[in-house]
Amino acid sequence: MILAASQAASELTVPLPHGWIGTTSQWIEGFGLGLVVLDLILLVLVWYWLRGRDAMPRMWGWVLVAVGLVPLLVGFMTFAHGLESSATVSACGSCHVMAPFVRDLQDPKSDTLAATHYKNRFILRNQCYECHSDYGLAGTITAKLAGVGHVWHYTTGSYTLPIKISKPFPNSGCLECHGESQRFLNSPSKKEILPDLMSGKMSCLDCHGPAHPEQKKETHL
Amino acid sequence: MTEPRRLHLLRVAIALAVVFNVMALIVLIRPKPIAFTVFMFLGQPLFAVALILLVVAALAELRARQIL
Repeated sequence: MILAASQAASELTVPLPHGWIGTTSQWIEGFGLGLVVLDLILLVLVWYWLRGRDAMPRMWGWVLVAVGLVPLLVGFMTFAHGLESSATVSACGSCHVMAPFVRDLQDPKSDTLAATHYKNRFILRNQCYECHSDYGLAGTITAKLAGVGHVWHYTTGSYTLPIKISKPFPNSGCLECHGESQRFLNSPSKKEILPDLMSGKMSCLDCHGPAHPEQKKETHL
Repeated sequence: MTEPRRLHLLRVAIALAVVFNVMALIVLIRPKPIAFTVFMFLGQPLFAVALILLVVAALAELRARQIL
């Protein structure tokens, strides 16, 4: 009965709001692609125009558009789209060493802390990034720089298995959402330990961990 | 700066802009972290070089026409 109900639920799709025209990210991607195609055409045309010296005085405007203006717009669109996309779960899972974490995260049968947050939609999107980046501008910058480090280690193979978090998970990662929740603040089990949680003397994961499944020992690939 | 030299600078700028656009295309179609990192640390500096070459060529052209 429960299985049938969950199967039926998985086949249902949440209706989109009236007048849905896509997300901002989809529009940025579409505009970006259009501009790239336009610019490539312009660049080819300008390249051919350069072959005839007589055309030089007349085509400066097009050169400025093709090499200066349109690529600036392309750069802006690509930066925005890339930045947004790099925070998604699929981006984190694109490195195969992260696959076990993402598999568990998206497993409805898993009861790990990460999977519980994912399947119950406690975090709506970008679940890896939301928990593993500090909030504020500094948090974003630090997370992006760490991401560059991850890409470097992954590409060069300079990492060790099993993958471990680089520093202990800070309570602020949990308290950003839970810290001002009335349900959390008024919970009898939290009242006594709240000061220790806020000060970091006690970790949320002491009771609620581990957030992810234990990793098997593997040889380096 | 002679006209062939200006044309050469422009051709290099166009080639760099093409490379930049191809990198952007990859990020827009398949936004993987590696592609985005390459775009950020290689594609954007290449575009900056293209812009500098364009400005240099444009200034040389203006000087050649005695506008500057």
